[in-house]
Amino acid sequence: MKRICSRVLTALLFLWITAASLLAAQVDSEELFRQANELQGGGDLAAAVQVLGRVPSPSAGGDEEDFVRSRMQIARIKFSMGEFDQAEGAAQEVLRLFPANSEALNFVASVKTEKKPRYVTFLDDCRRFLPHLFKGAGMTLLLMVCIMAISPLGGLLIALGRISHFPPLSACCWFIIWLFRGTPLLLQLFFIYYGLPSLGITLRPFTAAIIGLGLNYSAYLGEIIRGAILSIDHGQMEAAKALGMTYGQAMRRIIIPQTYKRLMPPVANEFIALIKDTALVSTIAMVELMRAADQMFNTYFNVTALILAAVIYLAFTTLFTFIFEKIEYRAGIYEHR
Amino acid sequence: MSTASAPLLRLEQITKQFKGVTAVDGVSLDVHPGEKLVIIGPSGSGKSTLLRTINFLEVIDEGRIWFEGRETGYVRRHGKPHLERQNVICPVRAEIGMVFQHFHLFPHLTVLGNVMEGPLTVQKKGKDEARETALAMLAKVGLSEKKDVYPATLSGGQKQRVAIARALAMRPKLMLFDEPTSALDPELVGEVFDTIHGLADEGMTMVIVTHHMGFARELADRVIFMEGGRFVVESTPAEFFSERLGNERIRSFLNRLI
Ligand SMILES: Nc1ncnc2c1ncn2[C@@H]1O[C@H](COP(=O)(O)OP(=O)(O)OP(=O)(O)O)[C@@H](O)[C@H]1O
Ligand SMILES: [Mg+2]
Repeated sequence: MKRICSRVLTALLFLWITAASLLAAQVDSEELFRQANELQGGGDLAAAVQVLGRVPSPSAGGDEEDFVRSRMQIARIKFSMGEFDQAEGAAQEVLRLFPANSEALNFVASVKTEKKPRYVTFLDDCRRFLPHLFKGAGMTLLLMVCIMAISPLGGLLIALGRISHFPPLSACCWFIIWLFRGTPLLLQLFFIYYGLPSLGITLRPFTAAIIGLGLNYSAYLGEIIRGAILSIDHGQMEAAKALGMTYGQAMRRIIIPQTYKRLMPPVANEFIALIKDTALVSTIAMVELMRAADQMFNTYFNVTALILAAVIYLAFTTLFTFIFEKIEYRAGIYEHR
Repeated sequence: MSTASAPLLRLEQITKQFKGVTAVDGVSLDVHPGEKLVIIGPSGSGKSTLLRTINFLEVIDEGRIWFEGRETGYVRRHGKPHLERQNVICPVRAEIGMVFQHFHLFPHLTVLGNVMEGPLTVQKKGKDEARETALAMLAKVGLSEKKDVYPATLSGGQKQRVAIARALAMRPKLMLFDEPTSALDPELVGEVFDTIHGLADEGMTMVIVTHHMGFARELADRVIFMEGGRFVVESTPAEFFSERLGNERIRSFLNRLI
């Protein structure tokens, strides 16, 4: 019993001595920090740096944390004085001992960008992000072109089905329009990509994206095309029939060609919306422009990635608006006197 | 009563109703080859409806139609006529030309394209042959120099002449005109009349609905006055316009026109 007591006492004594010596060292550094802050507050930055420089390095028996703190404070003061090289030097001093110190690493990086003019940083960002963004934009363009090819055909079939006098067909097309216009595109994409596998149908993301966007846009264009067909003067169909044309011939040769001009403005509208709706397929594991920008943004936390993506989207919408205007003019050429 | 030739067109007891309104009420009519028939009558008397039943643009409720000696266009089920399918209807329509009051030219095709359209699409002729036919028809209506313009640039009279050329390009056996000059400014009526007159001189068989009495008197072999969906008077123009007297309704109708 006595022996145990004496061992405990010895251990406590040892602990006390260690703590006291540590505290003594800390008090020392704390005093230096206090003085430095006072000098810094008074505006004497050079003196503050000098005081901080007296905080010993761990190799000289100093505390690691205090050392890092003091050198980083020196770095910040030098940075604020515009002496970037010395600021970086102070941070490098930390990195020599602790190469993984994230505060010092970030500081060195920001000093480097600060030393360059802004536009150079921007160009660097562009060089870093654009290859990946272009890859994504290529996929966005591919999706757009596929849907622009598929949906007018799908829309025409739906429209013709809708105005047919065969009730089951007409009802079927009505249902497609009702379903795909009445639910969010995002939900449709989720259902096709994540929902269908539970029914035993597993699709690749690209296939799912084409089917989802294709059906959705066919439904919208179907209603537009139907409206355009119905807006053509009934006399046109009668004149075609009076010549001996079948319904199909009259539609193909007389009615549908006259809808092109009327179709262009609303269809162009839909296609501009499509360019932006392709971003939704980023949610079903497609890497297109939006997803690429998101990846860059999350990796580098750099807003330039988002700005570049916006610029590419704008380039697409501008280009396609221009193309659609040209087509609209050509489609209506017979109305120009 | 029999005429030398068999009728090109025979309507028998045609009745057409629109939701209870009887537009054509049991009308029978024979049109012989080369005959020029003019139908007149007040608005709503069923002239257009009757004309449109001839090429099945209106589906009749009762009656029978013969074209070139064959009953055509309808099958009978439970004694009622039901319109045949397109493969029967379209070839008959292709032999009957129709000219509308409002022309109904195809605005997306040039004048030449309009006139070529029937031969190309319906008769499946080659481009060159269709073009040749179309150019000949445009020459006939005096619009050769307009062949490459779009209809939007034409005057009303020119539009109607193109519409006539478009119908003629199908080499029809019978031409139907539904008030071909009613939508025209008075000074443009003459050119369309002259065109139709030219056709008549070539021996084209035609049925014309018009409000133009001078035209009817000049052109018609036979004039029919229609009212309430029925033929009220059927006579030669000489009789029709001199007699007048016989029928109070005709007299007041004609007086109102003059
Ligand atoms: N598609 C239709 N639907 C309903 N009623 C119609 C239709 N077409 C014609 N009618 C009616 O049938 C009757 C005959 O019309 P129709 O157009 O044949 O007369 P019309 O003699 O040609 O007259 P107008 O000289 O004004 O052209 C009228 O009462 C008209 O209202
Ligand atoms: Mg009429």
